[in-house]
Amino acid sequence: MPLTLPADRAPTEPILAARGITKRFPGVLALDHVDFEVQAGEVHAVLGQNGAGKTTLMNILFGLVQPDEGALYLRGQRVHFRSPHDAIAQGIGMVHQTRRLVAAHTVLENIVLGHPRVRGFLNLRGARREVEALCNRYGFTVDLGARVWQLSEGERQWVEILKALYGGAKILILDEPTSVLTPPEVKTLLAGLQALVRDRGVTVLLVTHKLPVVMAASHRVTVFRSGSVVARLRTGEATEEILVQHMIGREVAFRTADRSTETGRPLLHVEQLSAFNDRGLLALRGVSFSLRAGEVLGVAGVTGNGQEELAQVLAGLRPATSGKVRFDDRDVTHLSPLERWRMGVGYIPAERIEVASIAAFSLVENTALNYHFDPAFTPRGLLDDAGLDQLTRRILSAYNVKAPHQYARARHLSGGNLQKLILGRVLSRRPRLLIAHLPTQGLDVEATAFVRAKLLDARAEGAAVLLISEDLDEILSLSDWVAPIYEGRFVAVLLREQADSETVGAMMAGLQKEAGAR
Amino acid sequence: MRLGRYELTLEPRPAVSAVYTVLTAVVAILLALALSSFLFLSADASLLGAYRAVFSYAFFNPRGILATVQRAIYLLFCTYAFLVPLRAGLWNIGLPGQVFAGALAAFAVPFVLRAQEAQTLALAPGLVILLMVAAAAAAGAMLGGFAGLLRARLQVNEILVTMMLNSILFWLVAYMIKEGGPFMGATAEGEGFTLPAPLTAPLLRGVPFTAALALGAAVLLDLLFAKTALGYRIRAFGENPAAARYGGISPVALSLLVFLLGGAFAGLAGYHAFTAVPGVYKIPGNYGFYGDLAFYGIISALIARGSAVGAVPIAVLFAGLSLGARFAQGALHLPFGVDYALLGLLMMTFIASHALYQFRLAWRRVPSEVLQPAPTELPEG
Repeated sequence: MPLTLPADRAPTEPILAARGITKRFPGVLALDHVDFEVQAGEVHAVLGQNGAGKTTLMNILFGLVQPDEGALYLRGQRVHFRSPHDAIAQGIGMVHQTRRLVAAHTVLENIVLGHPRVRGFLNLRGARREVEALCNRYGFTVDLGARVWQLSEGERQWVEILKALYGGAKILILDEPTSVLTPPEVKTLLAGLQALVRDRGVTVLLVTHKLPVVMAASHRVTVFRSGSVVARLRTGEATEEILVQHMIGREVAFRTADRSTETGRPLLHVEQLSAFNDRGLLALRGVSFSLRAGEVLGVAGVTGNGQEELAQVLAGLRPATSGKVRFDDRDVTHLSPLERWRMGVGYIPAERIEVASIAAFSLVENTALNYHFDPAFTPRGLLDDAGLDQLTRRILSAYNVKAPHQYARARHLSGGNLQKLILGRVLSRRPRLLIAHLPTQGLDVEATAFVRAKLLDARAEGAAVLLISEDLDEILSLSDWVAPIYEGRFVAVLLREQADSETVGAMMAGLQKEAGAR
Repeated sequence: MRLGRYELTLEPRPAVSAVYTVLTAVVAILLALALSSFLFLSADASLLGAYRAVFSYAFFNPRGILATVQRAIYLLFCTYAFLVPLRAGLWNIGLPGQVFAGALAAFAVPFVLRAQEAQTLALAPGLVILLMVAAAAAAGAMLGGFAGLLRARLQVNEILVTMMLNSILFWLVAYMIKEGGPFMGATAEGEGFTLPAPLTAPLLRGVPFTAALALGAAVLLDLLFAKTALGYRIRAFGENPAAARYGGISPVALSLLVFLLGGAFAGLAGYHAFTAVPGVYKIPGNYGFYGDLAFYGIISALIARGSAVGAVPIAVLFAGLSLGARFAQGALHLPFGVDYALLGLLMMTFIASHALYQFRLAWRRVPSEVLQPAPTELPEG
């Protein structure tokens, strides 16, 4: 339910305001004369697609980025943040999209790390008392002695929030806080934030592109599109439809798999495949399935149940401890990634920035990542610069990648545009087997629809697609077969017609282990 | 910093022109020279005289300029030895060890062929020289490849391995050339045997053929990185090893390859230092000095930002100033170590100039304080 501000509180002087903010990055106008304000004691949602400018504005409010034009006002006073230190000193805290904790340290050590009072000698005992008092005041239960690597993502996020509060934050900026959380963790987080606001007078800025989060947890919402504010609404007066229209400027239609097409010959056989994860634990425990050309197998599961290991073993990036992979009637279990690329295996990893692209390279050079071994693009060992340039431009236009030009650095692309580039690059090789791991994670509505449509196009052209996703709707709308995965095993392999969201959801959670295995 | 309605800020530079790159380098050099005037205060000559002494010996004296060229060639090979693994994100700190390995291998060729004396030479001198070059490169490559292999297969840190190999090779050279060692010279004064004249590197107007190798390698290396698929793989691996692996690049083969190639260049540096410089033509007792000098290859590779051609003027400058300052130290009774102090200053100003290379000072107009506040509620649609 949307929250409503207490009726007796008329809009007053905003606690934090940005006026006429403009920010340019090389080749991109990230913010164009943006006016933005937040009232004290509200949850203010900042909604927009990838690249709309939300994160840039938050980074400006936190002093991480300096605006080219415009000014910030805190409680009506003009303020100037040279660095996050200034912002923290003024009571602003930020929890970033990616965790910034020291995994090997304890919760307490992480909370006091970087606190202005911690200089020279570390008084952990005194700090512990203070943090405990803080926990009691806000009603948190965190084991301060636990090491951060032992915590779940949701708990880590609370540690960061606690750290911000310990730093004296009265205004809390949360950048995409729900993106890595499971649904129950999201619920806990939103409830906790509301308690902070209601009982402690903290002001929360919630940056997100998820409509349900906005609707469930905010008082007011500011919608960004292409670097401008397009709407300021009370959440109570908004609907998801209205917000979507503001966010993307029009309506989006999702395509679903057209199941009338004939499926082709068997292409991939996986038998009892097992693999270790990075910590040396058996994460994939005997997975078997087969897949025909022109079919999509949707592997549904909560991250950390062996999906990543499955994708990596199939791509040749992780050795199988046992089991067999046959592709195109050939045993490929021990082939290198390069040999698999050559055979027509295409892989879209979940980690776009860390694995699938090279931030400092131009888009053309990023294209070469999937072509440096292709004889057609490396005559006499030389890279065919003209050919790659042309190919990259084709991908940019065919996949609607918004980039200043093909020689822009990959780091300047927003997440959605980078993913479209990676998708275009891999699909341009016309893979016969496509492994797509979390292909739409973190993407906005429009990019998600686009990526899904392209996966279906690949299927229609006869590719076998292994789609690994946490999003049940995505799995159910694209797949011919659905395989819920739990603790390294397929709970079942179901025909799409037999799979409904309740059954699959229960299987993903580890229930009904015995149901109809193929 | 605020000045009236304007504000001075440091911000990232979007793109850098070639002219600006050269300009920052020139400013860095001038600054280092200006700072070095403190070193010259105790000189027996005027400040200007001291500078003149340094430069005239390094770049205008016929003897001095040859010495500068010789040292520049040595530094260039060392630069490539560091630069190739660097482009793959790996740090080859084993330059001295690989230089020594190259030197030992080069001298092993005449030793094995029993050609320490000119009259006992069985093969054509040209062929023996070719063998010496090949042996030096191969030995450097093997030593580098050892570190590369450990890195690639067992994830052993390459910095530690190459560092420790330096020590091992240092003492191996000592064993080989000092009293009783197989390579001991005839006069047995803690030096290796002297190369017979026909086996020394051929000179053209005092410049050894290794100069052509060094300059050719600069061009070829830059072409390798800019134009070839192999160069692309090395750069991709250097920028993001996980992405490179994803793209089908084998980390094992690549780590090994760059260390083999880098080690080979260091081996050539060893060949050059002890068989191509007139007046040396042997492994001298103070060979450790060449090991220390090899580390300037690291600095020049870093300053040249990974460009081999860009490293050429830097190596020449380092070579000239170190020799010129050493000469001035003797001639003008400057304090001991003034040559290294000058190189150190250069290093610092070059590195400081990188800050200005990546960032720029910008004047920004402070936005007007009196802005109309935006309406608090704007329900649209």
